[in-house]
Amino acid sequence: MSRGILAPVGVVLSAAMSLATAQAEQFKCPRTGGNFVFGQEANINTLDQMTSSTISTRNIAMNIYESLMTRDENNHPILELAQAMNEAPDHLTYTFKLRQGVHFQNGKPLTSADVVASFDRYAKVGNQRSTLDNVDRWDAPDPATFVIHMKRIQPTFIEALSSFSVPIVIIPAENRDVPAQQLTQPIGTGPYQLVEAIPGSAVKLKRFDGYQPNTSFQERTGFGGYKQACFDTVTFRIVTEPGARVAGLRTGELPGVEDVPSKSVADLKQDAGITILPLKNWWIQIASPNVSNPPTDKLLVRKAIQAALDMDEIMDAASDGNYQLNVGFQYPNQPDYTDAGKETYNIHDPELAKKYLAQAGYQGEPVVLLTNKDYPPMYNSALVMQQQLQAVGINAQMKVVDWPTSVQMSQNTTEGWNFFYTGWGTQPALGALATMQFLVQPNASYKPVGGKDDPDILAAWNDMNTLPTPEGRQNAFALMQKLVLERVYAVPFGAFTKVQAVRSNVDGFVPFRIPRMSNVWFSH
Amino acid sequence: MGGILVRRLLGAIPILLLVSLITFGMIHMIPGDPAVAIAGMSATPEQIANIRRDLGLDQPLLRQLWDWYANLFRGDLGRSLLLGQPVVQATMLRLPVTLALSAYALLLTLLIGLVTGIVAALRQNTWIDQAAMVLAMIGISLPSFYLGLLMIIVFAVGLRLLPTGGYIALTEDPLGWLATSTMPAVSLALLLAGLLARITRSTMLEVLRQDYIRTARAKGLPGRTVVVKHALANALIPITTVVGIIVSLLISGSVVIETLFSIPGIGQLLTQAVLNRDYPMVQGGLLITTALLVLVNIGVDLCYAWLDPRVHYDGA
Repeated sequence: MSRGILAPVGVVLSAAMSLATAQAEQFKCPRTGGNFVFGQEANINTLDQMTSSTISTRNIAMNIYESLMTRDENNHPILELAQAMNEAPDHLTYTFKLRQGVHFQNGKPLTSADVVASFDRYAKVGNQRSTLDNVDRWDAPDPATFVIHMKRIQPTFIEALSSFSVPIVIIPAENRDVPAQQLTQPIGTGPYQLVEAIPGSAVKLKRFDGYQPNTSFQERTGFGGYKQACFDTVTFRIVTEPGARVAGLRTGELPGVEDVPSKSVADLKQDAGITILPLKNWWIQIASPNVSNPPTDKLLVRKAIQAALDMDEIMDAASDGNYQLNVGFQYPNQPDYTDAGKETYNIHDPELAKKYLAQAGYQGEPVVLLTNKDYPPMYNSALVMQQQLQAVGINAQMKVVDWPTSVQMSQNTTEGWNFFYTGWGTQPALGALATMQFLVQPNASYKPVGGKDDPDILAAWNDMNTLPTPEGRQNAFALMQKLVLERVYAVPFGAFTKVQAVRSNVDGFVPFRIPRMSNVWFSH
Repeated sequence: MGGILVRRLLGAIPILLLVSLITFGMIHMIPGDPAVAIAGMSATPEQIANIRRDLGLDQPLLRQLWDWYANLFRGDLGRSLLLGQPVVQATMLRLPVTLALSAYALLLTLLIGLVTGIVAALRQNTWIDQAAMVLAMIGISLPSFYLGLLMIIVFAVGLRLLPTGGYIALTEDPLGWLATSTMPAVSLALLLAGLLARITRSTMLEVLRQDYIRTARAKGLPGRTVVVKHALANALIPITTVVGIIVSLLISGSVVIETLFSIPGIGQLLTQAVLNRDYPMVQGGLLITTALLVLVNIGVDLCYAWLDPRVHYDGA
């Protein structure tokens, strides 16, 4: 475990231990300079990180901003702008000592007043402001200290605080009152700073010369660690057309790209000048049933549907062959992973499906699959599922709309659809807690009858949040996953692999949840 | 001429008001809202609800319509929900990009279309005529998106002559602008040049059969004078009408091409605004674009009067 990685909560955490040895081995850019142009697949709408949960915003903004805490390479919480964190014995106070010498990209030194202002703004406009629901108040007793006072004990608070879904990034105090979506000139403490942002075209960053790396680490890890900007500038060019991204990679105009189409991978592998970097477990492809609308209100019908599915066929079509079969809501490389409920996964038994249908008294009522073409994996998985359901005698019908419409329908009405297709990407990467929130109110994706949670599911969820030991919380997660799969409140198909690629003269680029531009350099 | 211009401009006001009302109605009739786009794919319903509340999307529709018109009459087109920028600022940043690209494409369209059409008409029923019309048909038939992809493969990946995408402003680096705009402009122009060539050919053929052309030839005027001064000058009136339509098609066609070549123009801006239900951006952006197209059409009308003294707009 690297120094600085968070120890179990309830202890004093200091990141300054063994500093002398760390400094001797810290990362140094082998070469500096150059403009790294990265071909990004999706447009960005904003760089106001507090008010956006989109991957495209995070791709860029997380190179500009930093937080008190973040996650390491293995998704463990670590300190970032904090030098040390002390959790009081009563678990109701968290005291953070800030790292010294940190400056914002406007030259102003970081103080606890900026942290207070950042939390103030997040509480007002942050997309995931519920993170602070159990927080009573925060204050800054001195310029280097920030204290969070809780209303009640929340064993999972540090996990939530270090989340990178919509991180509580630290901004200068003068930006406290900027309304949501309107922070168009982002200023953070990260290794790169904004030069210009042209929505729909490109975002250019340059090295922040006043960057103060976190000397508690030797290397970059996850979103934190010891970071260095080796490039002079980094340009994120928005290239939504996959063929154009591949063309740019081939010519070298785009030394790095994300989301390489599967059909191009074999060809690109033949090119010695290109390195293919698969990022496994990118997202979980999933269909959420609507248990408030017949015929999927009947458990036996849902079990029949579950029994009919061949996940290999579905994932192959959805991902163009880039997938792994995966039980449940975490990935095998994650500490929270469990295969609880695996007997319900990938059954592919048409006879069993027919038996359940007969027991349910199914009379050919339509099962409407609500999907969209904006995300082809969602459309393709629905299409294959429709064929498989029809093969066992289910009257499966597709309802194809665009993505915003399908989301609105799935959230605002329980009529007119039976399965909604989506993908869970960031939340599974954050851990079980972030993922399973989709299965309880107010977010319950399976549309529980009358808006009331299944009591067994709710009890398991409460245990996941409140049991004092990690083992207890993990067991509660395993139980919740098992119940969700047995009662068919979600149908996870499998895990996607996202393929990134760089030119072979790009060193240090390791695929992660965002393309990290620190500790990456041109070798020649 | 000044009176005509003023009358036409005043006449445009109800058109713009009607367009803004239709746009407002249509964009709000589509299900889905910008909160979904802002929140991203993995967002929880709670996150989406927070955004909806922050942006005032939970207000009644009539209230939103009232606010839109009240702000419009104050000259305020609102603020893009996704970009966080004022709509006017966001539009004006991108409009010059699309206009420069469209002007380049229009120039290519006129050069290729007019020359091909005139040569085909003058060489009617020869192999030159046949070849020109086959080429025009290919131009019309090839989707600009497909043509753009082919050009990327040939000129960027294969020959390494031009960049695969991106954009450099004309004011920043004219040669860089030329390099980044040539493939997009050609992709746009070939389709419309084919259309213009066919119309120019048929118009020229009709004019060349007129008595005054025969008279001009009988008087012994040189062939070039007959074609340029007498035939082409008269053929220009219907061609000017087509050019007005072509300008509209260039702006609407830029939607696809700007996306393919990563060009930050108005087409891409409005496409994203519609897909993400960015209501103020769609309403304001379309209003500005409509105003621009109305101005182009007024310009075309004024060109008629300039080209043909017999044309009057006094209502007589």
